[in-house]
Amino acid sequence: MKSLSILFFLLIGTWGAAAQDAGDKLIGLWEPSNGKARVKIEKIGNKYYGKIVWLREPLDPQTKAAKVDKNNPDESMRTVPLKGYRMLKDFTFNGTEWTDGSIYDPESGSTYSSVIKAKDDNTLDIRGYVGVKALGRSDVWKRVQVK
Amino acid sequence: MFGNVFRSNNIAIILKKSIHYRFFCLSLLWAITYSSGLTAQSTDTIPPATPAEAEEDYSIYDNVQFTDTGTRRYCSPKVFDQSPQRFLSVAWDAQMPYTLQLSAIGSYTDGDNPAIAEEARANYTGGLRLSANIPVISKNSFVWQMGMNYWETRYKLGENQKPATALSTALRNGGLRTLGLNTTIFKPLNEKSFILFQGSSDLNGDYSFSDFQSLRYLRYSAAVIVGRRPNDRKQWGVGVARTYRVGEMNYLPVILFNYTAPNRKWGTEILFPARAHVRRTINPRNLILVGYELEGQSYRIAALSDTERSLEIRRGEMRTRVEYQRQLSGFIWLSCQAGWRYDWSFNADYLENDGKDFFRGFTGNQKYSMLNTLGNPLYFNIGIHLVSP
Repeated sequence: MKSLSILFFLLIGTWGAAAQDAGDKLIGLWEPSNGKARVKIEKIGNKYYGKIVWLREPLDPQTKAAKVDKNNPDESMRTVPLKGYRMLKDFTFNGTEWTDGSIYDPESGSTYSSVIKAKDDNTLDIRGYVGVKALGRSDVWKRVQVK
Repeated sequence: MFGNVFRSNNIAIILKKSIHYRFFCLSLLWAITYSSGLTAQSTDTIPPATPAEAEEDYSIYDNVQFTDTGTRRYCSPKVFDQSPQRFLSVAWDAQMPYTLQLSAIGSYTDGDNPAIAEEARANYTGGLRLSANIPVISKNSFVWQMGMNYWETRYKLGENQKPATALSTALRNGGLRTLGLNTTIFKPLNEKSFILFQGSSDLNGDYSFSDFQSLRYLRYSAAVIVGRRPNDRKQWGVGVARTYRVGEMNYLPVILFNYTAPNRKWGTEILFPARAHVRRTINPRNLILVGYELEGQSYRIAALSDTERSLEIRRGEMRTRVEYQRQLSGFIWLSCQAGWRYDWSFNADYLENDGKDFFRGFTGNQKYSMLNTLGNPLYFNIGIHLVSP
């Protein structure tokens, strides 16, 4: 009986570790379909976060300085540089997809509920939505790697 | 005590009498908004940057390559700072008083000056406007939306100077309604080119929901546009439309031009000839549009129709206007319009063969069955919208 219990907990532990590993395939460098930014997704604790690490147009055309988060509804955030900004937050892996997260759109200053699905190892389907998933828009992100 | 309250049969009246009524309404709106998760999420759960992150050299991300081969990019359906697309809308539209002149039913050439059979003061013209646009497929490589709209136009006509005609009686009794289904397909071909298709079928008339109009009298509109989006601030296209926007069925060339100036303060939102606006972006949550929109449909008047022929009011309006849009909370936006409603057409045609429509265009010489004239009043429109990401 004792052996069975140990085997059971070992199986559960192995399954949990495997699920975590599967979730970690989100980690890496990704490019949204518009090609305007590159986002590095990392794991902090048990959650996944993505920060902007590259911008096709890094300078604000008006100020000629590095772009900042000037559309953020929170005035105190409007001087924060966009490069390095965490636009994906709080995603957790449930075994099939990354849920309970949010995605921030620096163009509008809006934050949407979001869910991420991996279509394959190099393709993500990222959906931002309003209230319910049906009221949303999806974007396909592709994995990129540093040359 | 509670028995007395319920015997009054109208809790709303009691609440209205309460000094807390407005607070109740605001609280309810707030509760609905938050409980349905429609507001923007907070941004305060970002973990602090680690020392390693603070020193991160972002230049290493300048030169990358796709891990996959054959990756394609597609253009977005929007340009920077474009007014937000609406998922759900509730609006109320009202025109100020004006004079309505209806001719007798006859046979008239456009430009004739027929005798006036009835002249009345329209003290109120307006009603509820509901619309919904729900994404069926919304991906970067294909967007398909289905929508529904319900617009009503109720008329409160003053005393007649001449006996009421059947048309004014129909307007007084039920007004005009439009119930429609529409679809929008945006297909990006690559990073800079796209095809846009819009189609709609509308049931227009003086029907009510208890005396519904036959679907035989549906009117169909469509437009297809081929366009380019050379950068994030410019989108243009040309196409062709079958439209009822000036009341009668017509085939017209269409020009799309959405543009945002480099300073991100000014722009245009143009789908000519249907609408054209100059946009002033105060900030991403406040904008003003100045321009015009053509509105119209062909409305079947049941009281003057039978199974042989159908009398349809060719109602077309040009609305020059100023519109202010602002974010109320999260994805809830408010719009307020004020402008001038110009009467393009309120003429009528008898459509033979049980309402089979015909093409007159700008040069056709088919006769009208009524030549009607409306005054051109100020109008207002206020709406609340759930907008798209």
